[in-house]
Amino acid sequence: MSTYGTSLAIRHLVCGSCNGCEHEMNALGNAFYDITREGWDITASPRHADVVTVTGPMTEGMRAAARATLEAVPQPSIVVAIGDCAAGEGPWHGPPVGDGAGVELEAGVTVRGCPPTPDDIRAGLRRAAELLDAASGSGRRTPL
Amino acid sequence: MIGIHDAVVEECATGVPLGAYAGADAANYLFLRASGAYAHSHPLGSERRLRAVSATVPLFSWDEREMAQDWDVRFDGLPDERPLHARDGVMPAAHVVHGEGVMQFVVGPVHAGIIEPGRFTFSSGGETIVHLDAQLGYAHRGVERALGGLLPLDAARKVARICGGCSASRSFAYARAIEALADFAPEQPVDLARLILAELERIYNHLADLAASAAGAAYVVGFTRGMTLKERVMRLCHATAGHRLLFDAIAPGGLGRPVLEDRPGFAAELAALERDVNAYLGTLFGNASMISRWERAGILSQSTAKFHGAVGPALRGSGGLHDVRTFAPYGAYRWLPPVVASATSGDSLARCAVKRDELRESFSLIVRALSALGESAIAPQRSLQAQPGIAYGVVEGPRGTECVAVHVDNDGKLERVHVIAASYRNWPLVTLAMKGNIVPDFPLVNKSFNLCYACADR
Repeated sequence: MSTYGTSLAIRHLVCGSCNGCEHEMNALGNAFYDITREGWDITASPRHADVVTVTGPMTEGMRAAARATLEAVPQPSIVVAIGDCAAGEGPWHGPPVGDGAGVELEAGVTVRGCPPTPDDIRAGLRRAAELLDAASGSGRRTPL
Repeated sequence: MIGIHDAVVEECATGVPLGAYAGADAANYLFLRASGAYAHSHPLGSERRLRAVSATVPLFSWDEREMAQDWDVRFDGLPDERPLHARDGVMPAAHVVHGEGVMQFVVGPVHAGIIEPGRFTFSSGGETIVHLDAQLGYAHRGVERALGGLLPLDAARKVARICGGCSASRSFAYARAIEALADFAPEQPVDLARLILAELERIYNHLADLAASAAGAAYVVGFTRGMTLKERVMRLCHATAGHRLLFDAIAPGGLGRPVLEDRPGFAAELAALERDVNAYLGTLFGNASMISRWERAGILSQSTAKFHGAVGPALRGSGGLHDVRTFAPYGAYRWLPPVVASATSGDSLARCAVKRDELRESFSLIVRALSALGESAIAPQRSLQAQPGIAYGVVEGPRGTECVAVHVDNDGKLERVHVIAASYRNWPLVTLAMKGNIVPDFPLVNKSFNLCYACADR
């Protein structure tokens, strides 16, 4: 039996993005995209999250906070990399910037784009919901 | 060594200070006059030691802390010696206030909503904020060093991605600097198209700011309608300039891609948007609860705004009239100057009212620019060769003065790029405006500024 269906609690984690991806993540909440219709919500606490969306190349300042956030997320969970920076293909490379937040935090789904459109992000989140549902259905309780 | 302390302090009486930065050889303090930006520069020599100007003129505080951390300048008398961003993975400690009945609590760097990272350490007595420490720098990517050594035209794509919400303004400022070094002046249709794009950016940002400020007061209708209008502007940006946030639309040598190809379609949606935005503004500013939350919340006094170098709506909400578009006109603003919005009370209502008036003026500017543009062809991007030298591009972005300093070396490559963002100037003022306010007003007041982190952190 499916535990999750396709509902998601999403925690967003900014690891040094330009805020372009955040403009599009926020757009998911406007009346045009309205992700609550999918049974999705942005949760304030990582302790309520199924999905952690991450953006940015991973900055020196955010590395510890990003790890602490992921450690607070119950399992099973999935990291979704949003945007080219998180995928390790953005404009900034080298110290003090890392290899992409999605690469460092082992994202299970990656959504490319600079920034990706709200529709692209929604498609990535649907994929995450499917993966989570499959994981919970098989009784898996380890990170994807 | 005294450095240039006295000369810079003296210059503050005549020029508008923009900010300061150091390079390999010199420290530069930038100012703006009607004729353009200029620098007071001082060779750093091997000692790299200066008397801190921020001890006398506090608006240079972040600039000098950054020069000390990233460019090995040693200051005498620096009032705040903390680094600006992480050093060896550790963020600087917050300044807190201790005392009977005063408690400290920390918010961030990971926030509850979809917001950029920053750490806010409140010292409060009951509900009243005694002191607020805002630690930014979590989004520091070392942008300026990453741009060093690139060809100016190759760097344009990266410059457009320093901050997503200010991309068009920053690209505009960068293009102006490169074009000054290439001795290139765009033709009138290009200037008009750039004005239209810059004002579209102002419109979607101001709408998002007002919506977010309404959210800070839990006024859901104000938030939802504002964000719906913002989405429509982003779709218009995509339809007319190929990108929802206008990335790469303005580029050195003109426009980065064809824009405004369907002018009747653009004009029609713009007119519909203008009507709906005006209706929205009527609802938002006609809501007594909203006005009462904005009033007297987060007052930035006129003297504090001026002394600490506020720019943009933050300055103009506190009695200021400075706007780069009219003070040092550039591009199409030379013949299409905006009416500068201003308010005097310095509270959140004043800042939001300035944004309301600027929204209306932006629509008016775009309509006038479209009319001037007519059916004129917009020239494709010209391939420029920037000559060695130093140039400063300054424009008025949604949050105020946006400056990009560019040094091109003898090989035609970028030797040094420095970005002075409106958010960089205004962030210290948010903490000053919060003093004496109640904690629950922080989201409301913060969003009346709605500053970028990526812009400030770089």
